[in-house]
Amino acid sequence: MNLLVFTKRVPATQEEELRIIDDGNKIDLSKVPFKVNDWDNYSVEEAVRIVEKIGGTVTAVSIGDSESDEVLRRAIAMGAKDGFLIETENILHDPNARSTLIYNFLKKEGLPFDAIFTGVQSEDDQFAAVGGILAAKLRIPFVSMVIGIDNIENGYAIVRRELEGGLQERIKISLPCVMSIQTGINEPRYVSIMGIRKASKVERKVLKASDYQENVENMIELTRWVYPLKKEGATLLSPDLENACKELLNILKEKGVYQ
Amino acid sequence: MSYALVVAETRRNIFEERNMDSIGLCSLMGKDAFLLIPFGDYNVNEQYLNGIIKVKVEESMFLNPVVMVNILEKIMASHGKPYLMVFTNSASGTELASYAAGYFNVPIITDVSAYDKERGTFSKSYYSDKIFGEFKPSGEGTFIITVRSGSFKENLCDRNANPSLEIVEDVETNTTRTFMEFVEEEKSGIDITKAEFLLSIGRGTGNNEEVAEYEELAKLLKAVISGSRPVIDKLWLPKTHQVGTSGKTVKPKVYLAMGISGAFQHIAGMKDSDCIIAVNKDPEAPIFQYAHYGIIGDMHKVRDKLKEMLKEG
Repeated sequence: MNLLVFTKRVPATQEEELRIIDDGNKIDLSKVPFKVNDWDNYSVEEAVRIVEKIGGTVTAVSIGDSESDEVLRRAIAMGAKDGFLIETENILHDPNARSTLIYNFLKKEGLPFDAIFTGVQSEDDQFAAVGGILAAKLRIPFVSMVIGIDNIENGYAIVRRELEGGLQERIKISLPCVMSIQTGINEPRYVSIMGIRKASKVERKVLKASDYQENVENMIELTRWVYPLKKEGATLLSPDLENACKELLNILKEKGVYQ
Repeated sequence: MSYALVVAETRRNIFEERNMDSIGLCSLMGKDAFLLIPFGDYNVNEQYLNGIIKVKVEESMFLNPVVMVNILEKIMASHGKPYLMVFTNSASGTELASYAAGYFNVPIITDVSAYDKERGTFSKSYYSDKIFGEFKPSGEGTFIITVRSGSFKENLCDRNANPSLEIVEDVETNTTRTFMEFVEEEKSGIDITKAEFLLSIGRGTGNNEEVAEYEELAKLLKAVISGSRPVIDKLWLPKTHQVGTSGKTVKPKVYLAMGISGAFQHIAGMKDSDCIIAVNKDPEAPIFQYAHYGIIGDMHKVRDKLKEMLKEG
């Protein structure tokens, strides 16, 4: 089983205050730490578990600047055989542009694969569209929100996808295919600094995105960045811890849920 | 090129409420809305639609991306290309929409929550709602939008006329992907949807060891414990305790959210609670936009202080 896994380096913005600069044209990420996209972490883990069980190889691919080598090393430390970095300084917001770039890369390099794994979405742009567009361009089937792979063998896979309200559906899909993996599908293994250091010795091929530019164009245009519209918002309780907790308990009593 | 094709999301013979946001976007944009829906007994609000196109396939086929593109191809052959195609931003909607975008090579903007009529731009969330990007398709021609639930319902415009009805048959099937069965969630002892008071914990909890401390706080408060997606993904709490679109929708008297930043999927599952209290160290966390009361601070310190006060009586 040859599995290609796409992994992306994204800003860790959970607890960061983000500022829009240059008249709405840019988001200042200069002080924000970066990390592997959460969904891709699960996706790499799932691919590695499959080849550990039934044999084969996992190849990790990342699109981004030279720093993205970090997520390739991470994937190798988790069990990927090798990695490709498609290097570009441009941030491709448009999922069509990203997918076309990947499509051209796959065609030109002729990498063999039984399945391509992507995360359902990336934490930064939340488009949740690259996997589906890529599958359609390749004219192979697609499944997203994959929360369990029950079986994968000779030409097909049985997978469960997450719907809503705790409901799942089980489907059968032919290989090759594209699967977009949902968080929670597994428990990704711990990756040590030592492991990542060791992974540095495995070759990662660096390719130039400029070699795969045919039909890569932005089909959508970003006009500006804006902050979310502020609603009335919460009434803030006291900045003093003890007083805030007293106020909180009073609210609970007032609402009749705590005596 | 003047009509909008709205691809309905249905699940087990229910016409999902969030389809109304897809139709509402068409009203706001001033486009004639034609609803594409599987053939069946669905309860559709017809007064907002110009036309209904019923497709003679099973629901599971309709919601299958490799079949949907054949359906869309057929519609476009008889009706011409639509101005835009609208899908829900959901497990099925985004799957169908992205595959259609690649298949027909058209622009796509997902998770759209606002439309600026003057500028012709669609807003989509970035960084879990901390910032929004305003996008528009670069060229002419059909484009695809997926709509965030709850965004455009208020824009619905009653046409005071019956929609046209059309039935489409003989859709080409595709067996490279087939539906097998639904898998229901296992039932557990506690039903969080019945709780009057939920103490919900999120990513900020930090690690598994801390969870027991919150369970103890919940016990002292006589609250039921629940969690957001990261807590369930990390197996800190069972799946049946998840609040959000892929978990449970809850409406307790009090929802105390600790260390939850408020991703939209989470908000959708708790926003109708009578009283929402949020504790988070990030003053910019989106949850404060939905909460009635907020404490900006370290959730662990708030927890410890509360426990201390409760134990003292």
